[in-house]
Amino acid sequence: MRRPGAALLLLALAARPAAAQLPRYLGVDVGLASASFQSASPYGGEKLSGFAGVGHWRIVLRPVSIDVAYGQGRLSADTGSAVPRSLVDGSIFATYRPLPWLALKTGPHVRAYAAAGGTERWMLWEGRAHADAPLLDGEWQAYGELWVSLASSVNVTPGAGGARGAEVGLTLKLPRSPGWARLAYAVDQMRLRYDARTESLQSVALTLGFGGR
Amino acid sequence: MRRAALLAAALGLLAGAARAQTPANLVGRGVRSYQNLEYDSAAAVLTRALSWPPSALADSDRVRGLVYLGASDLYRDRRDSAAAAFARVLRLDPRYHIDQLVFPPEITGLFQQVRLVTRAVAVVVPPSVELRGAGDALPIALYATTFHPVDVAVLKPDGSNLRTLYQGGVGDSLVVHWDGRAADGSPPDSGGYVLQVASRGADGRVVRTVALPLDVARVRRDTLPWPAPVADSLLLPEQAPGRSGMRALGAGFATVLAIAVLPSLVAGSASGSANRFIVAGGIGIAAILGFRGERRPQPIAANIAANRALQDAWQRQADSVHAVNVARTREVRLRIRTGAPQVTEGS
Repeated sequence: MRRPGAALLLLALAARPAAAQLPRYLGVDVGLASASFQSASPYGGEKLSGFAGVGHWRIVLRPVSIDVAYGQGRLSADTGSAVPRSLVDGSIFATYRPLPWLALKTGPHVRAYAAAGGTERWMLWEGRAHADAPLLDGEWQAYGELWVSLASSVNVTPGAGGARGAEVGLTLKLPRSPGWARLAYAVDQMRLRYDARTESLQSVALTLGFGGR
Repeated sequence: MRRAALLAAALGLLAGAARAQTPANLVGRGVRSYQNLEYDSAAAVLTRALSWPPSALADSDRVRGLVYLGASDLYRDRRDSAAAAFARVLRLDPRYHIDQLVFPPEITGLFQQVRLVTRAVAVVVPPSVELRGAGDALPIALYATTFHPVDVAVLKPDGSNLRTLYQGGVGDSLVVHWDGRAADGSPPDSGGYVLQVASRGADGRVVRTVALPLDVARVRRDTLPWPAPVADSLLLPEQAPGRSGMRALGAGFATVLAIAVLPSLVAGSASGSANRFIVAGGIGIAAILGFRGERRPQPIAANIAANRALQDAWQRQADSVHAVNVARTREVRLRIRTGAPQVTEGS
């Protein structure tokens, strides 16, 4: 008789924090990105470009939020005889907003270039700073984001030497709707150890999103 | 000196004689003659008194004189004259009852016989009544000499019928009510109307009519005053002056600049994607629009809401007053004042 009572008490105690964690806000973005890849090494480089589908999902659990992003596309050679490859990029960040216009993010970021000869995988742990700047009545907003890798690894010899990147964009809130449009430019560079090779990826993405409380 | 005293004495005697000749005094003399069993003298004096114009003798004195004249005539073996005098009494005051302690049975008996054949009605209404709504009515009390049919109606100023209130017999007394409405239920216009009570004889013809003037006035209740509009001093400013706009412009062009230099800052030797200038152009346009938008007066949402709440409260108050005033305007009250009755004998 005491066991069911104790179990109910435990359930009740467990339910309280679960209720407190109910999401306050949920948002989803989907869209298309034009991507441009460049690599450089002492022995030459390659240029590829293509398109990728991108998606971004955000859930706000005060005081932090969770941001999940995923993109996948195909890159083809712009010049020379570069091997076409698939691009897969994913990340999950915990976001804390100390000021209304400033957000700090950290979390893992994975990128893979899959070609016929093999797959190059980058695994990064990043720290990001994101700032918002309203342009018009809070409906139009510019933003900028800078990031660096706090730890990095890659399955290519001689190993990862670090990464950094930035993103700048414009968010237009659609009038009288829970939706928005976003136009963003992102650039990053990932380096192999000893500067054996650098890889940079630039993208311009147009996404549409909606969300609500 | 002696002549003057004689003249004054003569004038005093003349004045006393004149006072003795007033109709009321003559009635008193006639009553005293009756009480002294001088019936011929009583009849003569009372006949003289009653021959004065109606305005010279109060109704109560006239009724008293007629009763004693009738009694004197009966003792003078003039039964028809006595009956005629009693009939005049009843037409003057249908509610009159002869005093059985003063007059002997032969007098009271004849009076009762005359009452049975004299058809008259006294109409008693309050001098002023205000009908405020359903259930209110002007009470019309009818007192009849004897049972007979009557018609009670309210007539328009042109003499046509506004409303027939009662048609039927009345015995001792009857109260008829008028709710202040015409036959179709509508309230009459303000104006002079007539309450007519017609007594019918045994052959159905009208033998006596009592007409009371009714002064009917529509009374409207005062409407409530409109609530005072919200004072300007209570309203908060709804717009703030526009800002310089430099914040949007600065943020926008800083972002555009960042897009231009980011490839070299982040990717070093890698060439920048030309597509990034699409984003830069979008942000630049947004910054210019934001610059213009910021310079416009900015609405203050809290003040707008507060002002709206004040206006809404005033509107609710105004709606309430409007509803009350509409109800008061539709409500028709009648004030009815009645005049002195006029009696017409015969049809």
